[in-house]
Amino acid sequence: MAGINGAGINGSGIGDKSIDNPEPVLAAGGGLLSPLARAQYGALAYLRWRVFVNGLRSKLGVLELGARTISFAIYALMGIGLGVGVGAAAYMMASRDQWQYFAIVFWVVCVIWQVLPIMLASFGEQFDLGSLLRFPVGFRPFFLLSVVFGLSDLSTIIGGLCCLGVLVGTTAAQPRMFAWTAPILVLFAAFNILLVRAIFAWIDRWLSQRKTREILGAVFMVLVLSMQLTNPAFWQRGHRSQGSGAHQQYRIEQLLASPWVKTANEVQSFLPPGLAAVALRQAAENQVVLALEPLGILSIFVLGAGSVLGLRLRAEYRGENLGAAPARKKAAVNSGKAVAAPPKIAAIEAEGRLGISGPIAAIIEKEIRGLFRSLPLLYAVGAPLVMVLVFSGVFIRGNSARVQAPLLAFPLCVFFAQIGFRMLFSNNLGTEGPGIQLYFLSPTSMRTVLLAKNLLHSAVFAVSMVIAGLLASLRLGQPDGVMVAATVAFLLFVLPVNLAVGNIFSLTMPFRVNPGRISRQRGSQASALFGLLFQAATLGVGAVVFEVCSLGGKLWVAIPAFLILAAIATFVWLRVLGNSDQIASERKDLLIATLMKAE
Amino acid sequence: MEIAAIQTHGLTRRFGELTAVDDVTFSVAPGQFFGFLGPNGAGKSTTIKMLTGLLEPSAGTIEILGKPFSASALDLKRQIGVVPEGMALFGRLTATEYLRFVGRMYGLDKETANRRTEELLEFMQLANENKKLVTDFSHGMQKKLALAAAVIHGPKVLFLDEPFEGVDAIAAGMLKTMLQGMINRGATIFLTTHVLEIVERLCSHVAIIHQGRLVANGALEELRAGVASTLPGAQSGQRLTLEEIFLSIVGAGDQEPAQELSWLA
Repeated sequence: MAGINGAGINGSGIGDKSIDNPEPVLAAGGGLLSPLARAQYGALAYLRWRVFVNGLRSKLGVLELGARTISFAIYALMGIGLGVGVGAAAYMMASRDQWQYFAIVFWVVCVIWQVLPIMLASFGEQFDLGSLLRFPVGFRPFFLLSVVFGLSDLSTIIGGLCCLGVLVGTTAAQPRMFAWTAPILVLFAAFNILLVRAIFAWIDRWLSQRKTREILGAVFMVLVLSMQLTNPAFWQRGHRSQGSGAHQQYRIEQLLASPWVKTANEVQSFLPPGLAAVALRQAAENQVVLALEPLGILSIFVLGAGSVLGLRLRAEYRGENLGAAPARKKAAVNSGKAVAAPPKIAAIEAEGRLGISGPIAAIIEKEIRGLFRSLPLLYAVGAPLVMVLVFSGVFIRGNSARVQAPLLAFPLCVFFAQIGFRMLFSNNLGTEGPGIQLYFLSPTSMRTVLLAKNLLHSAVFAVSMVIAGLLASLRLGQPDGVMVAATVAFLLFVLPVNLAVGNIFSLTMPFRVNPGRISRQRGSQASALFGLLFQAATLGVGAVVFEVCSLGGKLWVAIPAFLILAAIATFVWLRVLGNSDQIASERKDLLIATLMKAE
Repeated sequence: MEIAAIQTHGLTRRFGELTAVDDVTFSVAPGQFFGFLGPNGAGKSTTIKMLTGLLEPSAGTIEILGKPFSASALDLKRQIGVVPEGMALFGRLTATEYLRFVGRMYGLDKETANRRTEELLEFMQLANENKKLVTDFSHGMQKKLALAAAVIHGPKVLFLDEPFEGVDAIAAGMLKTMLQGMINRGATIFLTTHVLEIVERLCSHVAIIHQGRLVANGALEELRAGVASTLPGAQSGQRLTLEEIFLSIVGAGDQEPAQELSWLA
């Protein structure tokens, strides 16, 4: 037998026992439960377990586990809360026989299921199934593994808890409905699990090429800005500020009776959340045969989502790897012009344009290019701006909304818009990848590198805050000058705090960011959790200062108070910058090993 | 007629407008130590990825051990071993854990996988590094581990993408001996490397790819004779090194830098 079986190379002892004795191997086969596939599932479970255990060898690993546990508890509480809420709604509707409203519940769950994955990092280390392709793994096991690994996604856990809530609520209200609710929810959950995997598999495919990534980035930004402008414009026309509760009820009924809402309702009833609701309603009305019809269509949707996912996974399985595409070759240069060009390097060119020192200008230029090619970063910065729309709505309920908006509404809205900057601030080396080595090789200090990044991020922060301020003004009404000045002073305090903390996190808890993916990102729960705690702390300080000053009727006092805090925070930031070379030097191995880690 | 261990016909891979591998046809007989050479970016790694199922060809066919090969040919995948370009190690495992995992992925039973793991670690002189995580290994140690993982299931065909890169002279000597031992027992090895001395010493047959196209293919002596015959009279009699053959075929030897970099010290 060829190979090293029985090699016994130069007395090394390899395979001494197996000379002329073929080793026992499991039968091949691409089936889901073939002996080989079962052995491979076992091997992967072993791999995941050992990676987890070995991760605890370092202090950072233990810290990470602690952070994951806390995050899990927080998210579990969120999920359970949502599940209880959805369950209560299902109970109320089922006990009142209001089955037509179940569509709303299913749509909410469906949207949460599909949107949440890009809002939050997964608990576990993301596993790239592409690394299995060199092994004899069949397609069906490959597909199954892809789905199974997706089950640990936060959205699936929360979506599953919501489904459980619906099941418990409905069954508690009408026990006879259990036999129908359970299979409907199983199909609905299967559809969502497959769809979310399919959506992100395709998005990742589109994002694997720089050009599409930039186009999608641009589309995304236009979308964000459009939403920013459309929604307030709509509400500015006075849709909000009219009438009593009864009047608003009347308006809602009018809205529901409008032709476009009717059409939308008809259309949604042919989509999975609607189909699940229709099946439930018809089962509740004992129309068993009629209930089977939407159930059948829902099954077709499940198969469809599975097929769309399968199509993508099949391509990956066959070895489609767009990320491996080599750069297009440039035409051969025979004239030597490229070499003979004036000895300008990018940094010097950038220096001329930006008027600042070479390395700083070069890093800023590189960061600008990188930012617009990184959808995760754009998303992190842009998404909270969109959320300001929702968030500011909380403050404008009532009859004369803008007059009644609470004092802190404006700074709160603006503060909320900067939450996404945590990703930029607290992992500002994450997109460097193996390029991190250059910073240690070049005669540029880490202080300069971080300063350049901080300067750019501060500029983006400023632009984003101006947009958020304008948006908040549009929705809440124009704030008075003192409030604007106090908010600006507050942000002047928030920014250096974020920069200082972010620099420390970037050097001590880095993780590699793949600019071509918004799903399946690696992440550091410790960094995320501590980052959020610092955000909460700065918000707390801000709230105390605003409240104390406003209670005394002297809001203007908040301005010097925040400016003093800002000066202290700036001092701390400069100290952190000053020490960054030392921290980077102590953490050099970690930084290089973590950021160079293969995808 | 003997069945080829590796046979490609019209193998092509395009990335958009770029054709990285263009209509490559060659055959590797069983038991051959086959060197696949080419300058940077010539298409070596792309070819090896297609041959091992990591990349789908845009056109052309691949046969391994006489059977059509594709990503879903599981039986064939179990007959081949691969040291891929990036080594594809799992950094947060120990060497023992990694080899056991790979053995199980190739369908070895647990006992066999464990025994071979021990034997390979001993042979590769990694047994004393058992407590270290792979991520803490030196580059050379990682290469040795990657090679151990590639052979744990006893492949009949072995694909090696730059296996000697970063490996010290002692380890390289040991690996060469091991590979030669495999060849003696009938295995086929497909090797890409930039170290021409290794190819000259180990390989009986060589193919050269340049700008995606196969520009030479045959026994090393045949190539030597072929290139020598194109040289002017006095030079045609001398024994050419593989480096001279390579430069002669790829044509880089004639090229002068477009312009001297006068600012270099």
